[in-house]
Amino acid sequence: MSVVSRPGVARLLSHRAGVAGAAVLVAAGVLAALAPLFISDETLDVTRVTAAAWQGPGADHWLGTDHAGRSVALLMAQGAGTSLLVGLSAAVLAVGIGTLVGVLSGHFGGWLAGALLRVTDFFLVLPALVLAIALSTVLPRGLGTIVLAIGLTSWPSTARMVRAQTLAIEARPFVERARALGGGHAHVIGRHVLPSVVPLVLVNTTLAVASAIVAESTLAFLGLGDPTRISWGALLHQAQLHGAVPQRAWWYLLPPGLAIVAVVLAFTLVGRALEAVVTPKR
Amino acid sequence: MLELKNLTVHYGHKRVVHDVDLTLAPGQTLGLAGESGSGKSTLAMSVLRLLPKTARVDGEILLDGEDVRTMAWGRLRAVRWASASVVFQGAMHSLNPVHRVGDQIAEPIRLHGTTGSVADLLDQVELPGDKARAYPHELSGGQKQRVMIAMALACGPRLVIADEPTTALDVVVQAQVLAVLQRLVAEQDLGLLMISHDLSVLAETCDDLAVMQAGEIVERGRTREVIANPRHPHTAALTAAFPVIGDPAHRWADPRPTPPPLLQVRDLRVNYGRTRAVDGVDLTVGHGEIVALVGQSGSGKTTLARTIMGLRTPSSGRVIFDGSEVPRGGRALKAVRRQVQLVLQDPSSALNPRHRVFDAVAEALRVHGLREDEEALVTAAVERAELRPASLYLDALPHELSGGQQQRVVIAGALVLGPRLLVADEPVASLDASVRGEIVALLLRLRTELGLASLIITHDLGLAWQIADRVAVMHQGKIVEQGSVEEVLLTPSHDYTRALVRAVPRV
Repeated sequence: MSVVSRPGVARLLSHRAGVAGAAVLVAAGVLAALAPLFISDETLDVTRVTAAAWQGPGADHWLGTDHAGRSVALLMAQGAGTSLLVGLSAAVLAVGIGTLVGVLSGHFGGWLAGALLRVTDFFLVLPALVLAIALSTVLPRGLGTIVLAIGLTSWPSTARMVRAQTLAIEARPFVERARALGGGHAHVIGRHVLPSVVPLVLVNTTLAVASAIVAESTLAFLGLGDPTRISWGALLHQAQLHGAVPQRAWWYLLPPGLAIVAVVLAFTLVGRALEAVVTPKR
Repeated sequence: MLELKNLTVHYGHKRVVHDVDLTLAPGQTLGLAGESGSGKSTLAMSVLRLLPKTARVDGEILLDGEDVRTMAWGRLRAVRWASASVVFQGAMHSLNPVHRVGDQIAEPIRLHGTTGSVADLLDQVELPGDKARAYPHELSGGQKQRVMIAMALACGPRLVIADEPTTALDVVVQAQVLAVLQRLVAEQDLGLLMISHDLSVLAETCDDLAVMQAGEIVERGRTREVIANPRHPHTAALTAAFPVIGDPAHRWADPRPTPPPLLQVRDLRVNYGRTRAVDGVDLTVGHGEIVALVGQSGSGKTTLARTIMGLRTPSSGRVIFDGSEVPRGGRALKAVRRQVQLVLQDPSSALNPRHRVFDAVAEALRVHGLREDEEALVTAAVERAELRPASLYLDALPHELSGGQQQRVVIAGALVLGPRLLVADEPVASLDASVRGEIVALLLRLRTELGLASLIITHDLGLAWQIADRVAVMHQGKIVEQGSVEEVLLTPSHDYTRALVRAVPRV
């Protein structure tokens, strides 16, 4: 059973903004995938670069150079991969936890739902960024920590939404029919609840990726990222750290910022288009 | 007063009403009968130009000689309610929940600047004056419907259009509302255009009757004559769907001796918090027997059925199936569920909209881990439910099927495990009249062919007369009377049963 049927794809294509967003995402994805192939380590090694520092955009360096003479364009391409990877995996983690908590609390109810909802409320009222900062300070530095910090702090809204949808589905007579046929919890969840929840979850994932990328940039900008990896947020951190503003090096500050805006906007547009397609009319 | 000439209504390219001519004089009552989708509501709403913008209306709609179609907006607003008004279907949705009903009745009076008092209007519909301060949720269904009637009469119109005014009401309440409507029409010399799918309701209130099918009026005349000698086959089908209690021709079940018991309910009690929904019920269904459980909504009959199915835990008492007590859970309960199957009221919501017919029917087999011969079993069940050939239907999604076909899929899903007892909750209540007869016949045939026993829960005494062997009458959580159909429906002994039987509209 396909989640988005053929007419669904056609309807998706009729959302122009969504298609534009998808095009941006494909471009960013291709860039991120190809970057390691055409960028050798030397060109980004501070000790081996030959170009002068703080050069403006030109024929040699499309987006100029940074404080150490590295090409900002190449840094951008290299950083795309990290930003997208962290964004995607953190979003999948958050939506995964959210779906699990939402379905379980919606289906079983009673004390289990009570306990799960209190935990959800706890995470909902804590400022996510502060919690993420605390987590990434405590845990060892690394990409995994960033993913964990973002994933663990952004699942409550998904959980709430999935729970609401689960409750709505469970109230439908066909679930009662399934129970009367002898279907147990696994059957009701697997055959009726999950298939109805999955489209919403997909939409939610695309929207969650957008906020995860912003969260990753924020953490990296604050210097809490993985120091061995280049990401767009880390570029902004470096630019700020090495005085791009007094150098008037706009080419070092603007591109990572605009790239984040573009990708986040693209994910949001795709998410909205998907939402319009999968939301049942009835 | 009202004259429709060659009225045709299109939605896009779809023709919903085709070339209808109708006249209605003051004091005349006209019933408009038809199934869902026959165009009867569209026809009625066109009189006050209440159709959506997408509708294209051709022909003439003359209200007191003026064509509604070409009226200026201001004139139309003046005509609405002051000349003709509407009693809408479903009073619970047509009243604003956050305003007092008195204010809502007064709204048209205020807008039109006419004289009239809310207290008088409430008095006319036999509601006490202090109900004006009530909010809709504080009133019962029948009271809300009477508020709707009072609202329709607020500006002293000469024509009242009533669109399914009693559809969601119980028989007893329905009889009261119809009586109020009838009295008002007679007293105030109103014209009444009443729309219903239920011929017996129209027979009760209207002198003339028009029957619609697929946008056309197929038959019209004096109500008594049309119902007594229907000339069009569709009218005949509609008449047959509303069985006359006491008429042997409408009794489809053949008499049979009382069989040994299959399901026994002993002194069952079910509480919701402090409310006792089921209060000490004893009930027996024999092998291959059809028992009708009748009662008003809120009488506890649905709770009783859910408890028998093991979907609710009883507070006390026993449910015995085939000699052994139905367990409260676990594998043993699952085993019982192979034998007892549920058919729900509204087939469109009883089927998962994402599942194809094959999956919906096979669901029971998969639940019970019967993977072998899945396809053969499903095909057999679908054909038993008279969807032939099965291959035409197996790949269909529920929304591609008609209501009757959907109910057959639900029944096929229940049959696939080879059950011995079917618990059917209002199995035909949401179906059209012509389909209703087919489903009733199917249930009877399944009994004959498979020896399938049924417990049919219904508020419809006609259905009980048609197919049941025995009837149990439930009132406020208790079974007040039970016995053979003839005994209970023809010579009722309990006051409540008598009230129920008396309230049934007579054709």
